[in-house]
Amino acid sequence: MKRNWQILGRLVVVSTVLVFVLSGCYCFKETAVKETPPPAQEKAAEAKAPAPAPAKKADDEAAKAKAKALYEKQVAEAKTFAERPIHFDFDRYDLKPQARAALDELGAWLLKNKNFDVLVEGHCDERGTAEYNLALGERRATATRDYLVKLGVDADRLSTVSYGEENPVDPRSNEEAWAKNRRAELNVFPTSWYK
Amino acid sequence: MCFGRVHDNATRRFVRAGILVTVVLGLLVFWDSPAWSKVYIDIDAPAFQRFPIAVQDFKVLEENGDLKEEGEWFADEMGRMLNITGFFRVIERSAFLEDVAAAGITAPEIRFGDWLSIGVDFLVKGGLEIEDGRLAVEFRLFDVVRGALITGKRYWGRPEDKKTMVVKFAEEVMLALTGERGVFNTQIVFVGKKGKESELVTVDFDGSGWTRLTDYGALTLFPRWSPDGKMIAFLSYMRGNPDAYILDLASGERAVFSEYAGLNMPSSWSPDGTEMLCVFSKDGYDDIYAVNVATKETRRITRSPSIDVSPCWSPDASEIVFVSNRSGAPHLFIMSADGGNVRRITFEGSYNTSPRWSPTGDAIVFERSVDGRFQLFTIKPDGSDVKQLTFQNGDCLSPSWSPDGRYIAFSLRRSNSEKICIINANGLNFRTIEDIGGFDSVKQPSWSPALKLY
Repeated sequence: MKRNWQILGRLVVVSTVLVFVLSGCYCFKETAVKETPPPAQEKAAEAKAPAPAPAKKADDEAAKAKAKALYEKQVAEAKTFAERPIHFDFDRYDLKPQARAALDELGAWLLKNKNFDVLVEGHCDERGTAEYNLALGERRATATRDYLVKLGVDADRLSTVSYGEENPVDPRSNEEAWAKNRRAELNVFPTSWYK
Repeated sequence: MCFGRVHDNATRRFVRAGILVTVVLGLLVFWDSPAWSKVYIDIDAPAFQRFPIAVQDFKVLEENGDLKEEGEWFADEMGRMLNITGFFRVIERSAFLEDVAAAGITAPEIRFGDWLSIGVDFLVKGGLEIEDGRLAVEFRLFDVVRGALITGKRYWGRPEDKKTMVVKFAEEVMLALTGERGVFNTQIVFVGKKGKESELVTVDFDGSGWTRLTDYGALTLFPRWSPDGKMIAFLSYMRGNPDAYILDLASGERAVFSEYAGLNMPSSWSPDGTEMLCVFSKDGYDDIYAVNVATKETRRITRSPSIDVSPCWSPDASEIVFVSNRSGAPHLFIMSADGGNVRRITFEGSYNTSPRWSPTGDAIVFERSVDGRFQLFTIKPDGSDVKQLTFQNGDCLSPSWSPDGRYIAFSLRRSNSEKICIINANGLNFRTIEDIGGFDSVKQPSWSPALKLY
């Protein structure tokens, strides 16, 4: 189980990634290139192998550009999962068929993109009490995590946090808002950002 | 302020001289019958009616300072204090027949018939003067029907002590008429939330003295006041994970109480303050644990795949009431302190939660969903005698008993905003603390034990 500072780190990181990616600012470029190599190594090596010595500097540039392009593609894909939280029924934490389908997609992606981790945030609608809902949100996050583990994703790459009823996406008090608020958010982000 | 006691003016002066030498605060007591001990009002009776009481403008006893407005202030503040107890109906001054200028403040000088005829049962009178450079204020409580003094006190102090004088005499009135001093010397701690962050705030029983305790800039929840009044336990995300902390009120220092992976919800201090019931999810699913506050030694109490939350000790620490969805929906259960002898006590409604055992032990207050709204109910520990206390157009959440068991604080949620409200234990005398101090919502109140505020 990962500890608090990691989760906090992840939260800061997720928002930072989104801000940078969305704004098209490349301030993060240096860090990204430096820290991606481990997972991207195979591809970098493939790219390197056929073209050996002569223009070493040019090759490095090409490899860097390729790694960067791959990384940006990964970040963009990761963002699409964060934009699609999975939803639950009132006072329930079992995964509905649509939720399973979404998690199947995420699981497959995670198995391919091993340099990305997930922080699952469990949330509830406002009905009921804060304490019960904090536990319910934890159940939702845990059920989501457990499903991904069953798909073969390494449990070390998955962490959970519950916010109960405290962070609604829609603050209104009606069925439509409640349905949106009963959710698990899938924050997918590069492992490097908190390690 | 000074304290003392006296029977008449001569001894009053004598006693006062003695007190002046030694103390800063002073008080005098005078009475008609030496052994006054009758408790007038059974405020716990189901059909309790508020007792009509009048508070006349305090009289300036000796014109040696500009005290006229002070006389009105004392009457207003005394009336306000008595009113918020929920046990008195304070009669409007416009109804008074007796001429304040002509009447005195001792029994022989009072026309009790004038008070009886406007329906007053009890009467508070007072006088004030400047004495040896200090404010001296005399308070007297009369039984209008008998035409006799019940209790009286005289206080000396600085002008800024005047609220203390009012509170002290309000306690005397409560003690004389109900047998207990009331909860004027208590505060309520609660969560003030703005956006995604929240802080802890305290307010006095009467709604004054709003004080912000924390500046963590993080989601902070579930404050729980310790039985000795010195600490507040709470949960905060200040380091990312929902960990439990304890704030020492005297030093302002904060200590980590528990930091297991997952939930760390502090729920209930044992009555002697040695053990805290918490909900942790460290062993897979949320379960109830008892943690020794000093040694952190932890014993697991529930082992259930269901959601088990909101544990609360019985006042004798022999049992624990908690919420579980083990039978499908959230219901209240009671178990022994070791986790044995579990039995369900609620069978109606689809959502029963937030149980808090009353300090007197005979009732448990909780929330139940009724027609899509959460309302407060009480139930006896054996599951009988369910009573609905609130009928609000909104959700009544997170109830907390006053230390004397005569009031319940909770938050009322209406259109996305919560405010702290207080009712008497029978559901009457609903009042709202309107101030939300710039927050979007204030919620999750926890009532302090008796403190020494005044």
